[in-house]
Amino acid sequence: MARTVGIDLGTTYSLVAYVDPETGRPQVISGPYGTPLCPSVVSVDPDGSIVAGEAARRRLLTQPDRTIYSVKRLMGRGVEDVREEQKLFPFRIDPESTQVVRVRLGERVFTPPEISAFILRELKAWAEEHFRDTVDRAVITVPAYFNDAQRQATRDAGRLAGLEVLRLVNEPTAAALAYGLHEQQRGLVAVYDLGGGTFDISILKLISTTEGDIYQVLATCGDTHLGGDDIDNLLLGIAREEIRRQFRVDLEAAPERIQELRRVLIRAKHELSQAEQTRVVFPLDGSVYERRITRAEFEDWIAPIIERTFGPVRQALADAGLQPAQLEEVVLVGGSTRLPLVRRRVEQFFGRRPHTELNPDEVVALGAAVQAGILTRGAQPMLLLDVTPLSLGIETMGGVVAKLIPRNSTIPASAQELFTTGVDNQTGIEIHVLQGERELARDCRSLARFTLRVPPMPAGMARVEVRFTIDASGILQVRARDLRTGQEQGVEVRPSYGLTDAEIERMLEESIEYAEQDFAQRQLIEARNEAESILHYTEKSLASEAAAELADDERTRIAAAATALRQAMSGTDYKQIRRLIDELNQATLPLAEHMMNRVLAATVEGRRLEEL
Amino acid sequence: MSETQTLTSRELHCWSCGAAAGGAHFCPSCGKIQPLPPDIDYFTFFGLPRRLGLDAHALEAIYHELSWRLHPDRFAQASEAERRLSLDRAAQLNDAFRTLRDPVRRVEYLLWLSGRRREGETRQQAPPELLEEVFELNEVLEELRQARRNGGDGTAASLRRQLEAEQQKLETMLAAVDKELAEAAAAWDRALDSGAAVEPLFDRLNQILNRRSYIRNLVENVRQELAAD
Repeated sequence: MARTVGIDLGTTYSLVAYVDPETGRPQVISGPYGTPLCPSVVSVDPDGSIVAGEAARRRLLTQPDRTIYSVKRLMGRGVEDVREEQKLFPFRIDPESTQVVRVRLGERVFTPPEISAFILRELKAWAEEHFRDTVDRAVITVPAYFNDAQRQATRDAGRLAGLEVLRLVNEPTAAALAYGLHEQQRGLVAVYDLGGGTFDISILKLISTTEGDIYQVLATCGDTHLGGDDIDNLLLGIAREEIRRQFRVDLEAAPERIQELRRVLIRAKHELSQAEQTRVVFPLDGSVYERRITRAEFEDWIAPIIERTFGPVRQALADAGLQPAQLEEVVLVGGSTRLPLVRRRVEQFFGRRPHTELNPDEVVALGAAVQAGILTRGAQPMLLLDVTPLSLGIETMGGVVAKLIPRNSTIPASAQELFTTGVDNQTGIEIHVLQGERELARDCRSLARFTLRVPPMPAGMARVEVRFTIDASGILQVRARDLRTGQEQGVEVRPSYGLTDAEIERMLEESIEYAEQDFAQRQLIEARNEAESILHYTEKSLASEAAAELADDERTRIAAAATALRQAMSGTDYKQIRRLIDELNQATLPLAEHMMNRVLAATVEGRRLEEL
Repeated sequence: MSETQTLTSRELHCWSCGAAAGGAHFCPSCGKIQPLPPDIDYFTFFGLPRRLGLDAHALEAIYHELSWRLHPDRFAQASEAERRLSLDRAAQLNDAFRTLRDPVRRVEYLLWLSGRRREGETRQQAPPELLEEVFELNEVLEELRQARRNGGDGTAASLRRQLEAEQQKLETMLAAVDKELAEAAAAWDRALDSGAAVEPLFDRLNQILNRRSYIRNLVENVRQELAAD
């Protein structure tokens, strides 16, 4: 039976986890490098093959223009949105990009869901290796504050990676699930989740019922562009400025060096969570940038970033109608909550010591695995009632937004709206769906536009009822019904910042094509490696004493086969290489026999000596 | 509930086994989840009479029980059709709970259901008894904005204190209106129980709601103005 996993598709790292059927406990899966943390990095080779994870991360230093990190920041966003990002991240946005961002990596161009799909494929492969079984379904986590387009992009990524996405679960909610299993918590819980690129706060109520435990989210808020990345960029800015002033060196033209410096600074950041001070050493041409950073200094720098998290925290509490002191538990999630300043500030704010028992890097993936278990096997008597983070509305006269589903509504949620025509013989009614809290459509996020079809008739006669439903993954579905005929009408929703179904289909086809190409590529590499080792072994054998016993024609045959193989190796036909490997193997059989006989003879002799 | 709707509900048959399902969440015969009847109201969905006095705990208990049975998580392994029905039912459950648990929205909904109030209707005319208050408030707000433009910090601070006092006053008025609404709601339930006419109560409830919405907007404006500092 194929397996189902839980995946935390993070900005910096991604993880895959599952629930152990024996123990009922969630567990993360480690990859080939022995860690469950898979860097969310993708790199394209000059030969067109793609690597993701640690192998790709290593290429950040050697091939920065073919390698991308933090792609999560681009998910579900438009070209206009990411202008700011481009100043801070080395994203090479394709100039041909229309609404959906397209990123250039080497010779190829990808959408963010395609890039995320490579990370998901890597994790899928880890899990398949672990189970020795196929994995075809997953629960994937998203920041609670992700909007519809960002959620759709994540689901598209899953689909492109060959995974049926059973559910998208909000990261803080997933963490609460994992903690709930671990600690058996009850009552009001705040989950403070500061990751690599996003910040979320969720307020939950844990309720015991006769059927099981209900995890009800009361309110959620956040910032999809606030996280450890911002701290790294801040440090990078300071260091680059100091280097420019002290050494008159501008690193602008050297993306590799910037990545190196970034790495050095991230290490310093990590060290400052343990030590009171650290030293940054970064060699420059003929000199060295060296600097001591104390924790106090570091905390002074980053305090404004950390303070930004408390705006959403206050908002979520206000929406839940609660005061900070009413929370019974506070849970810290995300790698950035390792910062002592974050821990101090959160403790100060809520007036209680936050939970940090579970590894903040792993807890979201563990929760995703728990939810996967609930969905596939009903493994745990738990029910998750999550909310939509943003209000849903439609544009009305004068560009004003009419709210249909308020933020923090429990999902699934729905709203119905009746539409009619304004002029005689009008055959279409344009609907513009938006997400956000502002009054005017231009200040909200455009989700989709669609046209309701109506037969020509006098104005105001048409009656079309549209049902907007936000499903349990937080994704919008639209259905329309003509009230006069009772007919359901297919609504083709054009996502403003997403891929259409047709585009995904095309990408799936392409990815299969590429998969074949990638497969051929891998076959070629393996065949070459094998050829290399057999040639090496043959050479060694020909130099041994046993080779003296070869007949002349046997020797000629080996030499001819070896030459042919060497020639084939410089080509790209892996089947040809395989065939010639077999030929050389055949040719060297007599040689192998002679060698075997010698070994046997030696053994027998040895035995005789012993016997004497 | 109207006669015709009761009739339609009775006619509903299970999509799976054909037994009479009467609009229930699940078929009484085969247990399969059923489609939402087209015009089912929130009270009926929760199996409650159309009364305005609702015990919050009892309502929440029903909500939790129905969540366990209707939530799409419980249908993850079911057929596509059943998953869709669960989505519709669970969405309706959440919409209904959001409306019914809030005493104000509950009244608005009941009036709307009775054809006495259109959704989202808020009369923006100031109720006569509030005119003086509104006038005073607008004056303070205007002065405060003026003072800010001129950079007069001292004046702004004293005006701010004045505004905070106004806010207090408004909050007190809001509490009074809420009390009034609760009394009118209780009167509605009593009329229902005794078989008396509820008709006269529609106007009273509508008026209270309009006044409430007006005061709420004022409170919101003042709050935003104070937060802008």
